[in-house]
Amino acid sequence: MKRLLTFLTVVAAIVVSGCKPSAPDSGAPSGAASTAGGSAAKPLTIAFLPKSKGNAYFIAARQGAEQAAKELGVKLLYDGPTEPDPAKQNEIVETWITRGVDVIAAACENREGISTALRKAQAHGIKVVTFDADALPDARSFFVNQATPEGIGNALMDEAARLLGGTGEYAIITASLTAGNMIEWQKAIEKRNAEKYPGMKRMALRPCDDLKDKAFAEATAILNANPNVRLLMNICSPAVPGAAEAVKQAGRAGQVKVIGLGLPNENKRYVKEGVTDTVILWRVVDLGRLTVHAAAAVARGELKPGATEFSAGALGTFKVIGDNVLLGEPFKFTKDNIDQFDF
Amino acid sequence: MNPPALQIRTGSRSRPWLRSELLLLGVLIVESLVFARTGTHFATVGNALEILRLSVEIGLLAVVMTPVILTGGIDLSVGSLLGLCAVCFGKLWRDGGLAWPVAALATLGIGGMAGGLNAVLITRLRLPPLIVTLGSLSLFRGLAEAITRGVDNFTGFPPSFLMWGQGYFGGVIPAQAPLGIAVMIGVGLLVHATSLGRSLRAIGFSPEGARYAGVPVGRQITVVYLLSGVAAALAALVYVARVGQAKADAGTGYELLAITAVVLGGTSIFGGTGSVFGTVLGVATLAVLRNGLQLSDQPGELAGILTGVFLLTVLAGEMAFKKYSARRVASGMLQTSTASSKPASS
Amino acid sequence: MKRYRRELSVTACLSALLLVLAVVAPAFFGRQQLLTTLTAAAPVLVAACGMTLVILTRQIDISIGSQFALCSVAAGLMAKAGLPMPLVVLGAVAGGAALGAFNGWLVAGLELPSIVVTLATFVTWRETLRWSREGEFVKDLADGFQWWGLGQGRGQAVILMGALGVFLIGVIFLKKVGAGRFFYAVGSDREAARLAGIRPAAVTFGAFVILGALVGVAAVLNAVRFADVDPKTGTGLEMQVIAAVVVGGVAISGGRGTLWGVLVGVLLLACIAPALVFLKLPPQWEKAIQGAIILLAVAADGEKGKSS
Repeated sequence: MKRLLTFLTVVAAIVVSGCKPSAPDSGAPSGAASTAGGSAAKPLTIAFLPKSKGNAYFIAARQGAEQAAKELGVKLLYDGPTEPDPAKQNEIVETWITRGVDVIAAACENREGISTALRKAQAHGIKVVTFDADALPDARSFFVNQATPEGIGNALMDEAARLLGGTGEYAIITASLTAGNMIEWQKAIEKRNAEKYPGMKRMALRPCDDLKDKAFAEATAILNANPNVRLLMNICSPAVPGAAEAVKQAGRAGQVKVIGLGLPNENKRYVKEGVTDTVILWRVVDLGRLTVHAAAAVARGELKPGATEFSAGALGTFKVIGDNVLLGEPFKFTKDNIDQFDF
Repeated sequence: MNPPALQIRTGSRSRPWLRSELLLLGVLIVESLVFARTGTHFATVGNALEILRLSVEIGLLAVVMTPVILTGGIDLSVGSLLGLCAVCFGKLWRDGGLAWPVAALATLGIGGMAGGLNAVLITRLRLPPLIVTLGSLSLFRGLAEAITRGVDNFTGFPPSFLMWGQGYFGGVIPAQAPLGIAVMIGVGLLVHATSLGRSLRAIGFSPEGARYAGVPVGRQITVVYLLSGVAAALAALVYVARVGQAKADAGTGYELLAITAVVLGGTSIFGGTGSVFGTVLGVATLAVLRNGLQLSDQPGELAGILTGVFLLTVLAGEMAFKKYSARRVASGMLQTSTASSKPASS
Repeated sequence: MKRYRRELSVTACLSALLLVLAVVAPAFFGRQQLLTTLTAAAPVLVAACGMTLVILTRQIDISIGSQFALCSVAAGLMAKAGLPMPLVVLGAVAGGAALGAFNGWLVAGLELPSIVVTLATFVTWRETLRWSREGEFVKDLADGFQWWGLGQGRGQAVILMGALGVFLIGVIFLKKVGAGRFFYAVGSDREAARLAGIRPAAVTFGAFVILGALVGVAAVLNAVRFADVDPKTGTGLEMQVIAAVVVGGVAISGGRGTLWGVLVGVLLLACIAPALVFLKLPPQWEKAIQGAIILLAVAADGEKGKSS
């Protein structure tokens, strides 16, 4: 037995030492070649990084990205952390650097955290664009901007004030206290509240861990603990149906308004029943599609700094301001139009 | 547990962990060979170093988790503690105005104190480690969120600090790698070449037995959890330097990765047997799996699924080995009785 | 009395919390809030009853959150396919039992350590589900799904009765039925149990199967409260359930504990999160407070270990 183990160890050592040195010769140069800038023969490889997988929002974005990849004839890689985690995002970017891709399109969980890795990618000749949430400006060429934090915050706050007639108490349900862009939205909401709507008062801010069931429990507790709260503002997508269900079960549909950032499909039922008033979101599928178009254009040198317009084929032409490609204003899904969308 | 069975197990071979390590080494080689075929640029020196670079944090936690599990304990709080330490470091450096080396030292102290809290609850109150660290898992993460109100994110650290997570010695060797390797060797020596290491295993087999044999059980256990706390702080520093930011959610779920690596490496979850080298192999197997799958353009979920499958396969394989040798032992009792007295007595 | 020290200390803890709430925020005891808190706690209680059996036999199962999600999604898909509710319930319970049996086979049959086995199945099931559903809700369920098609009031009553039924059966089973005592016997001394004619492996396997089946029940009880199923449901359930069971006085080293203690543990943990909203505490303290309560409740009788 002992001899057998020794033998195995030796074999293992030979295999390990045998495969390692020979590899760099074949691997490294081709890596340099592919990152140096896609030659005409090889299709571009675009790596698409969501904040987290298993999130319906990014699934919708991916749907658009894949459509664009087909339109452009590029290879699309889709991978991300299973939970939103800045360190895991870095790890994935670092591995893509090793793999050698042409462009990375990233939705950044955390601006400073990911920028370190994205800069490194740029140093290796990989083009970087961001979408959904930006990195630091020096870590990417373009940001496909679906809406600024101010744009989102203002839209939500304005809608809340409109529904309550400018005065009243409201509460916010968020995913977690540490999620990067939600913090920015909260700040924008607070600022808009202070500047324009002195009559509006935020009574509570609760995290729901990005879980619908927990959002339901939180919303119920908020409504019972603060009987004067007249509106629930939900800034993560599972919280919108969760809060709507809570209002419905409390028998206060109509008295307590529900608005939030969410996907049309998850909210159709409540919007039609009149529980949820407005769901605000951009056209996520288009965001994914535009991002891949922009990524390919950057890699091919068609989208350069100084551009004022970007034509994304069948999708249309988009405005470019500075280094932001603008998708357009956030969209309001209401009873009247929600049936036209399927994502 | 049941000491007689355990004695037979150790008696069958002087170093019973060796076979699980060989099994794991086999898994590692097979997966490397597969990925060398399927992955783009997998089999390169650069990629090997990159894997090493990315596994230092988990490696630190896992290596120091090994002695904890050897004593029959567990530390579920390390991931949360990493988050707390990262935030404390940021706070001390930015708001406390300390130079980063001073802040780093203070952070190591905080990690030690947090580990000490676990140790006190476990040794003084005689509470099960699983429960204590389940509670401190919530507590540490909660404190990290309370300190930052969830929103604070510390960034803009000086390059002399960031170097330790992002720099390369000679442009090749990642700066954090020597640190990780040093800790690995240090803990390896501590566990395998000192009387402390032997007494840890004795505690894992039977705390009462160890106590009667004159081992200061409480003190040894305290040392182990203190070390675990300090390692979490060290991992926090590497994490902050690598990612360039410190936020309350740092290290979420790392405890499970570390425990998985330790168990995959052949350390018995009940304590008593295991090795630091096995843990290192466990960390490597998991890191190569994640890296290789991504370089082969496979989805990340597959890494999770395969982690579970590996874990079960290695455990089942080990158990098969154990039963096989136990049967051999039963047919050759004489040999066993001379060998079994050795590891238990020291 | 000394035997039930933990049960008493946790009950005292819960009473203190409820007393504070009664003074500061009586709205906590409003009918609608109370019903929601209790129906949310019902699935946790059902799962905790199963977990009690497993921990009594000196094992643990950390995969139940993933099992819960699989059963919920399966129940949703079956309901969507038009199966009648009794079949949906049966399907979810059978599915849960099968998952539990897999764990049980690895633990009791192959003698692998339960914490590692269930760590492995925990990741594997969760990732498989993420892979296949990609986070998409199970939507557009038949009307007969939510509240069993009985309407909110009666639906809530059914959920509460169901959970209470499981609990009472568990109490009677553990206390009065001979087979119930087997779990204590195996947990406190496996070898002695074997000599007394009990088959430890069969008992352990049984504990995992029952837990799996109860997780299936819990998944249905939880899912029918809503109109669609979130595939991420049950994330962190294992921690919630284990904490409740242990806080309720079941010894993690097996062989000791009562379901009454578990009931109080479940209620205590179920009240903390909404209580924080009513007490208007800043949310960033929530996790710290939860951790501190768990440590305090357990530390309160920690000294006992020393005397015995």
